[in-house]
Amino acid sequence: MSTEVLTEDMKTQGPSRHPGWSEFVFSMKRLFKNPLTIIGLAIILFFVFLAIFAPILAPPPRAHDPFLMPHKGWQIQPSPPSAENPLGTLPSQYDILYGVIWGTRNAFRIGIAVVAANLLVGLILGSIAGYFGGILDEIVMRIADIFYAIPILVMAMALVVAIGRGLSSVVVVLIILNWPTYTRVVRSEILVVRNMDYILAARASGASHLRILFKHVLPNSIFSAIIVASMNVGVTVLIAAALSFLGLGSDSGYADWGAMVATCRNYIVGPAENRLAYWYLVFIPGFTIALFVLGWNLLGDAVRDVFDPRMRRR
Amino acid sequence: MEKLIETQDLYTDFFTFEGVVKALNGVSVIVNEGETYGLVGESGCGKSVTVRSMMRIVQTPGKIVDGKVVIFFRAEDRSRGIDILRRSETYMTSLRGDSISMIFQEASTSLNPVLSIGFQVGESFNFHRRAQMLEETIKDLNKELSNRVFFLTRGWKVLQKAVFRRELAVLQSYESEIDHVDHELYEIENQNDKESLHRKVLLNRRRDRLREKSFLVEFLKRFPFISYYQRRQAKTVRRHVVKLLRSLGVSNPDRVVDCHPHELSGGMQQRIVIAIALACHPVLLIADEPTSNLDVTIQAQIVDLIKQLKQTIISSVLFITHDLGLVAEICDRASVMYAGDISETAEVREIFHNPLHPYTQGLLRSVPKVEQADKLNTIPGTVPALINPPSGCRFHPRCPSKMDVCPQEKPPLIEHSPGHWVACHLYTDGMK
Amino acid sequence: MQAGAPFLLDGACCFQHNNPSHHGCIYVIKSSSFQESNHLSLLNYIIRRLLFMILVLFGVSLLVFSVLMLIPPGMRVAAYVTSEKIPPDQIEAMIKLYGLNDPAPVQYFRWLAKIFRGDLGFSATAEAPVLDGFKRYFPVTLELVLYSTPLIILVGIWLGTVGAIKKDRPADHAIRILAIVGYSLPTFWLGLLLLMFFYGFLGIFPPGTLSVEANEVVFGSGWNRITGLLTIDAIINWRWDIFLDALYHIALPTINLVILDSALIMRLMRSSMLEALGQDYVRTALAKGAPNRVVYQTHVRRNALLPVITISGVLFAGLMAGMVITETIFVRKGIGWWMARAALQLDVPAIMFNVLFLGLIFVGVNLIVDLIYAAIDPRVRLG
Repeated sequence: MSTEVLTEDMKTQGPSRHPGWSEFVFSMKRLFKNPLTIIGLAIILFFVFLAIFAPILAPPPRAHDPFLMPHKGWQIQPSPPSAENPLGTLPSQYDILYGVIWGTRNAFRIGIAVVAANLLVGLILGSIAGYFGGILDEIVMRIADIFYAIPILVMAMALVVAIGRGLSSVVVVLIILNWPTYTRVVRSEILVVRNMDYILAARASGASHLRILFKHVLPNSIFSAIIVASMNVGVTVLIAAALSFLGLGSDSGYADWGAMVATCRNYIVGPAENRLAYWYLVFIPGFTIALFVLGWNLLGDAVRDVFDPRMRRR
Repeated sequence: MEKLIETQDLYTDFFTFEGVVKALNGVSVIVNEGETYGLVGESGCGKSVTVRSMMRIVQTPGKIVDGKVVIFFRAEDRSRGIDILRRSETYMTSLRGDSISMIFQEASTSLNPVLSIGFQVGESFNFHRRAQMLEETIKDLNKELSNRVFFLTRGWKVLQKAVFRRELAVLQSYESEIDHVDHELYEIENQNDKESLHRKVLLNRRRDRLREKSFLVEFLKRFPFISYYQRRQAKTVRRHVVKLLRSLGVSNPDRVVDCHPHELSGGMQQRIVIAIALACHPVLLIADEPTSNLDVTIQAQIVDLIKQLKQTIISSVLFITHDLGLVAEICDRASVMYAGDISETAEVREIFHNPLHPYTQGLLRSVPKVEQADKLNTIPGTVPALINPPSGCRFHPRCPSKMDVCPQEKPPLIEHSPGHWVACHLYTDGMK
Repeated sequence: MQAGAPFLLDGACCFQHNNPSHHGCIYVIKSSSFQESNHLSLLNYIIRRLLFMILVLFGVSLLVFSVLMLIPPGMRVAAYVTSEKIPPDQIEAMIKLYGLNDPAPVQYFRWLAKIFRGDLGFSATAEAPVLDGFKRYFPVTLELVLYSTPLIILVGIWLGTVGAIKKDRPADHAIRILAIVGYSLPTFWLGLLLLMFFYGFLGIFPPGTLSVEANEVVFGSGWNRITGLLTIDAIINWRWDIFLDALYHIALPTINLVILDSALIMRLMRSSMLEALGQDYVRTALAKGAPNRVVYQTHVRRNALLPVITISGVLFAGLMAGMVITETIFVRKGIGWWMARAALQLDVPAIMFNVLFLGLIFVGVNLIVDLIYAAIDPRVRLG
């Protein structure tokens, strides 16, 4: 005799808010309790500030292309920080502070452009592959596997060589190379959601594929994609900086952090009396990159900690 | 009947992110020797937390904040129980698996997927019966050495024997030291003056710090090839494991011992879990809904097995379930729990024929009967969230007999008739 | 899977109370045939993976070829000429000769055939045929990878475990911060900083692979170049001074890589351990009376290591690729350094070859890692 005790609940408890909203509020509160989030957000906001107010903080000498760094004089040797150049200069007297400020705009452009484009591509391709399955899924996944087989940096170098150098090529290349990550994430989420009962119910009541996709499947799968995106911004900027460092991005004299770091390779060791003479050159542009990426990584980590359903409530 | 284990006013809280969950609100349970005790209640009422508190394996962020858990394992002195909440962790470790064992609901996840069955069951022997295993191994080695043996193998066996003897010696000296500490702790168990308390703390700390290891043995255990000597003891343990599995009705134990959990069926896995729990013949077996995930035929088998074992190996069983039918079938006494409180405790017949607490009455009423033709009975409302539990008696929002005093005061657990305890204001002043 | 595991029917069990010879149970044992099928399924698995690997490699070659096709024919010609640089006036003739204006599929198969013949073109940056350049540069990279990978994995596992065990305590916070900072640092920046401090300021750990004197010895006569790995060759040649010299030069790049990449392993190990700690079998182990130490070492660690093994493959292959920057900074002449120069000078054959090679490594390492994983995790069924 197997008996179970049943109790029905006929009233909901507590205030009748939309459950999604209270979950969201809970997540936000959780997000902000983590000190690392605050630091990450602070860093990103700082850079946003720099990017937005760039024209005011560092007036461009050439209006048509603000990304060309100003330089007073043609002396090759970099100058240490002074009143005129608060952070010092690069070889050929390009002002580092200017480069840092305008480089922020560059970094944001690259990061957001690549990630946004990839998110879109990933959502579309991932949905198609995950939802319709079958041979479409196989094809997309095999191609993704092939892209995965080659490390991104190396492939990026090859593509940049093929397409031609420059910042826009870097962006295009990174978009091309990053799509498998997003596609896979979206696809796996959709595979899970697709078999759930409420999808079956929707189909049984006659909803079309597109409607199901947009209304039911995507909203549940989009979270993981956002988590991956937020964590990916940092990596993307790092790779772009690496490409610039190798000389495959923009030309010299352009406000690009990676290129700025590249210029210091001849100045690692200073003259014998002061071997750390060019510390500002080695340290500052790279530090900016590190800080920027750190901010995004912290934020991405916090977002993941909060929104990843497996790790909540701990 | 003699008391075996008792909890007195146990309070356990969980310090979660959303707030403090007051899971146990002064739970008092008494399990006697030789009886099967049932703990009944809905999901989330605190049954698992109670037994986990009893074994002190409450998961973080939970903590036992007040109360006592007293065990009376020594036959000679029933007046002096040991409050295990005040003892050291090493004491608990020696207790768990040896005197008190626990089996869980989901057998498939309770077993480590990457370790073999033999290893996992053998761990019980290795933790608690190590001296016995070592002695047997040494005896076996002696027997082997008394025959004619090839000289290289002879040397190896002699080496093994020497290491085992060293290990045994260290273990025995450790155990005798522990016995001294435990004995003294037992002597001053009931004394609560400042000096005794201080002494208890010192003794507990000392117990934690004693090491049963000898450097040489530990070193050899990790040395690349010499560590293989341990396989000899593993063989002894394996013999015991096979014997144990066979006695539990596992077919082909020699093969099963080398398997991994995922290769076995659900019923078999549950038997393994039971084997792990029973390896050292515990006095008390706690079963936390062991059959809830099995289909009915397997459920019957496992229940039969437990009944059988109670007659032979175990003394008492604390059976947690939400299935009233099981309670009726196997339990002698039972407690009904609701939202962290014990509502009613009595012999099973009493509970079914004369339920006193409104909650128990509601539970029994909601059991569907064959001749019932109309709507099912339910208890209106839902189980409360325990972050902000209802004041006073936690059942009062749903109680049909609610009185004014109920939200104000928590009803104490009183003995309404001999052996029948109830916590309800309907009975606190001698009414009914 | 263990050979000879019985095929147990659900619920079938036998009670052997008083009569041990009485088996009242029904079960099916596929003993010998089971063993066979176990081995067969392993072979099956390997064959399937190899086929898959070949498929992926073909796909990679297609990808590389499409990239190749984006390059104008004038530059592509270099990929077809093995022996020397092409004088500019002959380019047109060469293009016609090698049919570089033919339709793409034709060119693809022609190119593929060339590769299988071992004819990979002439690398301007290496000033040698591509394969020779590879033989010259690969050992340097391999050496650094071989020294750093075990260190990265060990440091990552160790710190990740500590972080998980002491969760939410100061040590854990420190480790998490270390991990996330290490993850965010640009490869080139840390390397430059390390160089500036150690070499520039302290004067130790210079860049390069060998000091000038050692270089003369290695490239002079009387040196047996067996593996190409400097440290191993030095031992074989019984020149301990060269050995120490090579180690001295490898130290800083290794430290660089360890700081950067162990962060990944650290985070993975920590989260994997935390996940394992939340599992039910830990609860069972505690209920058995296992002391904490045993729980961590025996039960949790094995399960937690599984994801780390999987990622080691990715790590290894990723390191090979990451060499591009590290070698450029520390001026070690390996394939990364070669690749960087080739990219700048548009040395097409070198780039294409390196991409293909790295693809091969990646796929191969993944296969090996999968096999290791299948061998270790008993749950993996290869059938």
